[in-house]
Amino acid sequence: MNRRPTIAEQLARQGISRRAFLKFCAATASLMALPPGMAPAIAEALGKIRRPSVIWLSFQECTGCTESLTRSHSPTVESLIFDMISLDYHHTLQAASGEAAEHAREEAMKEPGYLVLVDGSIPIKDGGIYSTIAGISNLQMLKDTVENAAAVVSIGTCAAFGGIPMANPNPTGAAGVQALMDQGLIARKPVINVPGCPPIPAVITGVLAHYLTFGAIPPLDALGRPLNFYGDSIHDRCYRRPFYDQGKFAKTFDDEGARKGWCLFELGCKGPTTHNACATTKWNDGTSFPIESGHGCIGCSEPNFWDAGSFYKALSAPADPLSFAAGAAVAGAAVGVGMSFMNRAKKSSAKAAHETATLKDLEK
Amino acid sequence: MNEMELLNWVRGPGLNIAVAVFLLGTIWRLFEIYSLGRKQDLSAPRNAAGASGWHTVVRRSMPPPGMLKRSPVSYISGYAFHIGLAIVVFLFAPHIVLIENLIGLSWPALPSQVVDLAAVVTMAAMVLVLVDRINKPVKQFLSTFEDYFTWAVTFLPVLTGYLAVQHLLLPYTTMLALHILSVEILLVVLPFTKLFHVFTLFASRWYNGNANAHKGVPV
Amino acid sequence: MSGLDNIPVNVEAPAMPFGSGNTGAILAELETSLQTLLTSGKEHSIDLRSLPLLPGELDYLRERLGKGEVQVDVNALGHSTVIETAIRGVWWVTHRNAIDNVMAEFLEVSFCPDIIRAQRDDVRESLETLAALLAGDNHS
Repeated sequence: MNRRPTIAEQLARQGISRRAFLKFCAATASLMALPPGMAPAIAEALGKIRRPSVIWLSFQECTGCTESLTRSHSPTVESLIFDMISLDYHHTLQAASGEAAEHAREEAMKEPGYLVLVDGSIPIKDGGIYSTIAGISNLQMLKDTVENAAAVVSIGTCAAFGGIPMANPNPTGAAGVQALMDQGLIARKPVINVPGCPPIPAVITGVLAHYLTFGAIPPLDALGRPLNFYGDSIHDRCYRRPFYDQGKFAKTFDDEGARKGWCLFELGCKGPTTHNACATTKWNDGTSFPIESGHGCIGCSEPNFWDAGSFYKALSAPADPLSFAAGAAVAGAAVGVGMSFMNRAKKSSAKAAHETATLKDLEK
Repeated sequence: MNEMELLNWVRGPGLNIAVAVFLLGTIWRLFEIYSLGRKQDLSAPRNAAGASGWHTVVRRSMPPPGMLKRSPVSYISGYAFHIGLAIVVFLFAPHIVLIENLIGLSWPALPSQVVDLAAVVTMAAMVLVLVDRINKPVKQFLSTFEDYFTWAVTFLPVLTGYLAVQHLLLPYTTMLALHILSVEILLVVLPFTKLFHVFTLFASRWYNGNANAHKGVPV
Repeated sequence: MSGLDNIPVNVEAPAMPFGSGNTGAILAELETSLQTLLTSGKEHSIDLRSLPLLPGELDYLRERLGKGEVQVDVNALGHSTVIETAIRGVWWVTHRNAIDNVMAEFLEVSFCPDIIRAQRDDVRESLETLAALLAGDNHS
């Protein structure tokens, strides 16, 4: 296939009217969290770009990210976007298996400039033997595939930051894609991190739509996450925020406060330090998000969230039990008592050495 | 180390170390100070109205006549920042959660806007006392490195806490980590500097008052 | 479901119109946009999904804006409704997909939302279709 069709051509081929296309662009703008005024720009851009090839690599993962994506109710904007890309390799979704599947990947890699999507972390300990596909280690496969890629999108917290496989004690030496680039183990390419456990389907497709529409990496934060989805913390966008400010907190999951929908901070909500779009984009087709269902945010789109102490411990509370405290108190008491004996000894020896001064002494 | 790792460290091992040093230092010094004792005063006690340890504890909390006018910054700002600190430290909801986790006690919190205001007043008062310390030749002469150092370790937790809540300067996660870190520095430093007055203030007042009462002097 | 219904959950929304503070902001934005529409003809739209709204705030907004004279159903990639509010020039646009899930929801400020207008390229194609139709009639 020499000339991939433009996305507008693709949609026209499906018999979609300009009016429908306009609606699609408006919905896409909303999906990408762009101002609604951007819809014409999207329409124009979609008229120009070609259907790109996408290779999706799944490493140490639970398929939750793919599940999230495929659970987006079809047909939706998301599914239309998937019509726009040519998903050439995805070992869960593709029909081919074994040799044929790997062959599809090798074929897709022949034309540089494809997009690589990764879910799952990559084990690098002991030569990467802890996870292999078709006898190729994950690290080797990623290295080969990234070589000619235009960009890499890390889908899910595992691919972005290492996630659960990297959690203490990290037996497989798991790492995220960005970390491997930083260590020089794979070629350096532009990376978009789309963390979450799993990420919101609309966010996955929104980021892809942005890349496809504008052919460029969206503005990213310091952790490589698109600002239009990860720019705000859950806390700042949370509809329960007014309760936090008023000091109204649920203390247990079944008290008065919990029933009245008060703030879940004291029940361990990690909303203040978590950046994601859950509070606005929501889950299950805009139904709700965890806090709306009465459970605090667990911070799944942040690095090391698994090692950040209990999900049910308030952010301001200690992450681990204070194991040194009792020992330190005893040691402090021991030192204090020791010092007081020393001081007493000093005092009594001073008393013993005391001589009554006489007039003679003063004349000396 | 990214900001999340820093936050995890300060919430975990960092806090563990800081609380341990704080407890060790505090208990050590309390034992040492209170076991010192004093030589018995063999003179006959002279009684005077209003002269006792307890009187002094109360009286030293008020400015002596005329002093409020002569040194308004010391008294007004001094009071303002001490009360402000108490409000910020003990009546902000996340702090109460921390205390509850540590010792199991909890009480109602103030709305965060009130705590914000208290934090601003505290910082303003602390800056005033610092400026006063630098501007007044006598105060400056009496000041040592420790005075400036303890001012800084007290001021930083309030500043970083306020910046974190208001989302200023740095991302919240980073600022929160720095805030907790600054409190940990305060905890480590407290038992070994003049900040130990949080534990000894009233006892030393009582002691002075009692010694002077023996001599018949209400101070 | 019946088991869940027995749990006495009562979500308390802070007293309107304070709440999240966003309903007031939206109404104010509509006011300036209407002003701009009158002076420069520039259209504007607000994405209702990009704002955190408390439960019930969307209904509150719908109630405040009321219902106008025009209601349009658009069948393109699923069902869309364009409803003029009692504030003329402000349109409540809801885009749904083929299985009736809301894809996007906007408040548009314009004399007539673009989605209602026939698009130039579509009209051109229709002309061809009509011509072909007529040609077919003439042949038979």
